[in-house]
Amino acid sequence: MSEAENRFEEYCAASVLGALSAQEEQEFAIMLENATETQILFHNEMKEIAAELALGVSPEAPSRSVRDELMAMAWASIERKKQATIFSIPVSRFSIAASFVLLLTSLGLFFYSQGLTDDLESKDALISEQTSRIELLETEVERKEALLTILEARDVDLILMDGLDVNPEGYGKVVWDKSNGRALLQVANLPEIPTTRDYQLWFILDNQPISAGVFAVRDSERDDFFTIENLANDANQGAFAVSLEPSGGSQQPTGDIFMLGAMN
Amino acid sequence: MLYFFISLAGQYLVKNDKRDRALLRRIVAKEPQALGELYDHYNKLLFGLILSILKKRTEAEDLLQEVFTLIWEKAYQFDAQSGSGYTWICTIARNKAIDRLRSKVYKEQKKQSSSLDDDDVHITLYSTERNPLEDTILNERAAKVTQAMKQLSDKQRQVIQVAYFEGKSQSEISEELDVPLGTIKTRMRDAMIKLRTLLADEAE
Repeated sequence: MSEAENRFEEYCAASVLGALSAQEEQEFAIMLENATETQILFHNEMKEIAAELALGVSPEAPSRSVRDELMAMAWASIERKKQATIFSIPVSRFSIAASFVLLLTSLGLFFYSQGLTDDLESKDALISEQTSRIELLETEVERKEALLTILEARDVDLILMDGLDVNPEGYGKVVWDKSNGRALLQVANLPEIPTTRDYQLWFILDNQPISAGVFAVRDSERDDFFTIENLANDANQGAFAVSLEPSGGSQQPTGDIFMLGAMN
Repeated sequence: MLYFFISLAGQYLVKNDKRDRALLRRIVAKEPQALGELYDHYNKLLFGLILSILKKRTEAEDLLQEVFTLIWEKAYQFDAQSGSGYTWICTIARNKAIDRLRSKVYKEQKKQSSSLDDDDVHITLYSTERNPLEDTILNERAAKVTQAMKQLSDKQRQVIQVAYFEGKSQSEISEELDVPLGTIKTRMRDAMIKLRTLLADEAE
């Protein structure tokens, strides 16, 4: 037998009898971790032998109270466990109910927040639409104010324009405040034009066309009003004409003349 | 071959072990009746063991209750692979008794109250008579253990008894008997191996 095997058996025999020091017990625990199957079997046999040593002792009967107290302890622990179980049922049910309520609440909040989001988006769209409408109306008001300013002028010339062959249904009116160099143009029945084209108003004096500005008609079903600035001229005769020109206007009329009207 | 003999020896306790394992399983399932049955089987044996270590009946009864309470609470820790139910129970009882014996509180109490005239004090000598256990199998086995102990040399028996019933370490035994530590270690090992052989022979 090797020294190590002999040492293992000595430690083993002492261990099962509780005769090792604390340090030796630690060493033996390490030995057991690395023990062979034979050594583990030997250890188990030693434990059995040690336990059998108790059989050599003369048995003694303890007092009856030991059993009574032991059984009372066991039954009491069962009762405590039952009570704990009974108590745990409502807790578990409460947990399930609370989870269900939480789930419903979460779902409700989710759908509510979705509704709010949709509502918010709808309101945003409405606000955007209303803002555009307000801007449009403000522009319209400004334009109307400008028109009123022109119409309120004490000394204005009214020039009526009729449609020519290109557009015989066309109709136009220029209210010219010569003292302030501003004019109001009203047109009707002019055909809609593409964005690459513009109508251009001309003031024709001594056969010389003077550009009075460009405008576009996007809706032929309604009358359109335009203000014309910087049209200062003290002429008492001449004519106004509207031609179709490339977008932005031209130096001289290049397209068809749609309307024409002379000052009286 | 030796394992074969040990196996034969084990067969003596197989019937009881099956019963013990079944009881321990029922205790794990928290059946107080099973604890009562286990107690009825082993209370006298364990009480005798504890009493032989602590010497005082009240202390021994207190510890016996503590041991069975521990069994009630920790039965799930029983590992059938590492030994029989009897070995597990007996080891708990013996270790608890030794722990109590070594505790400072117990030593103080003993110093103050121990007296040979005290009715509570129980002087146990290792039984050399027929064991009066009610369980037939245990009774037969007890007789064989007693017989095997008698076949050890006096020196071998002495180290076994001092270690097992007085909870003394090999160093303490060496000091008390004034015998070299190495000799004590050898005696203890030889004694345990001899017991294993003797009990296996008895089983055969």
